[in-house]
Amino acid sequence: MQTKTKSDRFVWIDIMVTLLTLELMDYFYYGVRAVVLGSVCAGASVIAELICLRLMHRKFTADDLTCVSDALIISLMLPAVFDLKVAALACVFTAVAAKNIFGGRLNMIFSPAAAAYDFLYTSWKNQLLMFPDPHVRTGGFEKAGNLVSSASHSFNITGKMDASDFELLLGNVSGPAGAVSILLLAVAAVVLMLRRSISAGAFIGSISATVLLALIVPASVTRADSVKYTLVTNMVLFASVYIIADRRIAPKRDYYAFFYGFFLAAFSYIIVITTAKENAIVLVSLLFTPVALGFKNLEKHIELTQLEEQEEELKTAASSAETLGEEAAANEK
Amino acid sequence: MFLVTEFVTLLATNLILTQALGTSTLFIAAGNKKNLLWTAITITIFTSVGSGAAYIINVLLPDGLADLTLLFYTLIIGAIYVLLLTALYFAGSDSFETTRKYVHVSAFNCAVMGTLFTITDRADTYPELNTFISFVLSGAEAGTGFILAAFILTAAFRKLNSAKVPHSFRGFPAMLVYLGLISMAVYALR
Amino acid sequence: MKNKKTAVFDGLLGDNTVLSSLMVISPVIMCGNTLENAIALIYAFSAITFFSVVLGSFVPKKLPYAAKIIINAVIASIVYIPVKSAAGEFFPEVISRVGIYFPLLAVNSLIVVQSETKFSRMKRGSMIASLVFYILGFDAVMIVTAFVRELFAYGTIAGRLVDADTLISGLGLPFGGFIFLGLLCGLYRKLRSASGRGENKSGGDGNVSGN
Repeated sequence: MQTKTKSDRFVWIDIMVTLLTLELMDYFYYGVRAVVLGSVCAGASVIAELICLRLMHRKFTADDLTCVSDALIISLMLPAVFDLKVAALACVFTAVAAKNIFGGRLNMIFSPAAAAYDFLYTSWKNQLLMFPDPHVRTGGFEKAGNLVSSASHSFNITGKMDASDFELLLGNVSGPAGAVSILLLAVAAVVLMLRRSISAGAFIGSISATVLLALIVPASVTRADSVKYTLVTNMVLFASVYIIADRRIAPKRDYYAFFYGFFLAAFSYIIVITTAKENAIVLVSLLFTPVALGFKNLEKHIELTQLEEQEEELKTAASSAETLGEEAAANEK
Repeated sequence: MFLVTEFVTLLATNLILTQALGTSTLFIAAGNKKNLLWTAITITIFTSVGSGAAYIINVLLPDGLADLTLLFYTLIIGAIYVLLLTALYFAGSDSFETTRKYVHVSAFNCAVMGTLFTITDRADTYPELNTFISFVLSGAEAGTGFILAAFILTAAFRKLNSAKVPHSFRGFPAMLVYLGLISMAVYALR
Repeated sequence: MKNKKTAVFDGLLGDNTVLSSLMVISPVIMCGNTLENAIALIYAFSAITFFSVVLGSFVPKKLPYAAKIIINAVIASIVYIPVKSAAGEFFPEVISRVGIYFPLLAVNSLIVVQSETKFSRMKRGSMIASLVFYILGFDAVMIVTAFVRELFAYGTIAGRLVDADTLISGLGLPFGGFIFLGLLCGLYRKLRSASGRGENKSGGDGNVSGN
């Protein structure tokens, strides 16, 4: 039990380190406003979590700080100049309706970040999908002026990308700051996988499906461009690391997690190329919650069957040992 | 590609996720897998046969008597209800006690009656859908949508009724919020 | 005696039609997003349910269960006709907005199932009193739901603009209805258990039917 708690905390620390690195990149591109957004989200989440736990007569422990990482994931998916009040509202909504109503971190059903994003998408879509250009800085609490649509949006519509590969790697394109820093995200993915802080199966499944479909049904003129741009746009990499491969949500066994990630990414790829829906992978993540739960139920069922079989074998072994013992005793007589 | 698009359409036109029709019936059905399967099958029978009969009524009923539509739909469902119970009784009187409860639950509820009205409304908007076959197929599709929603709920049933869920929210309230979040995802994808 | 009195009032709070038994929830979720809709639905639900259940109480008890259910539904469908005509006079715009949820009120569980499983076992006088409170229970939930959803989704109260700068438009949509009703249902249960009412009351968990 203690080991489990400890490992959960290490997972959280690992994820926090990578998120803070992305937050730093966010600060580099958008200034203090990005930090304010992250802090507001984290603050709102902690307060909402505290109140919910109080209402459930539970104590706030270090493990409950997972709400901070969820809040940072949410803030990294938003435009840096997103309305602070609405961002806080989304975090509160997530803590209450998508997490603690179901029992909080002890009984996770939905990815909090995906639920928050869907919540914002359904009520503040226009604000959510308009971004400031990189290096355009606003003050901590000012409203931004010139907003543009994301690089993902223009890729979905035209199948072309204006930014160079170098700019894409560094995240020097318009979009949610945390989700476009591809180089950092790739490093984070590798580190988190090696440290087993995310579900490797779900992550690999998601990336495999995206690559496979980008080759079979290219979204760009050439297949190489299709693979390259499909992976770096629409938050595919970001969602694969922090939402799909979230250990709390993805199936435990890598084998099942792979198929969960694979189907989810394949589904969202088709949605993107048929409807040009921006960041469909995050929206689909919420929809695929029953699939993840189905896989988890299957895992439980298999575990139970295996346990029963083991018990049966033990019983058979014990009875045969008993018989042998009786036979030996009879022979001795 | 086609399957995914069809699946999204099925979700986007799902009577439970988008119109909240038959939600309580779904909650009963999701209680156990046997109930789920049989209730879903029975509802599909009601929606498919009922939709075919609704088409005939729509054709025969003069425009001036549109207010009588509900009465005739009720009579149709009543007739199917009786026929189904009779058929089950003669099919196996031993199992009749068990099987009849699915018919009782499925006959008069929003899922069935709502399907008939929704299909009629749709046919009014898109005249090409105003055919007998289209009505029956739409009824079957509504039943399939019910099955899909039931599976969505069944997947989380254990977690939604877990002792870890706060007592006040355990069961129905958690199910409503769960369906709401899934419905939100469907809405976002439409 | 005291218990009898409580049983009569149960429909309003202790065994609320919507929050406890989860009956008639689709109109609340779909149309309970503005007070205008809510008032039209309250009128329709109250009139159809009251007259249908009262008329249904005259159906011979000896008839088979299925026959009584069908007769109840037919009575409600007949009651619906004058109610709809009157609604056309009072709420002409709302009728088209509410759409299919208006006729669906006639096959609500209170009429089709509860009239048979609950009301038919009561004496007519107490049945009518109990029925009134069940109807009021639905009306109260509808009003509260519509008020909150309209205020936060559209920034209006009964169509009049109020000063609200952050609107959650999703709350006016079906999924907003699901989530809000789930939260309200949990809150109701919390209050009910805090007030010491039984947890396993009839019509509670696992005892839903119909709509």
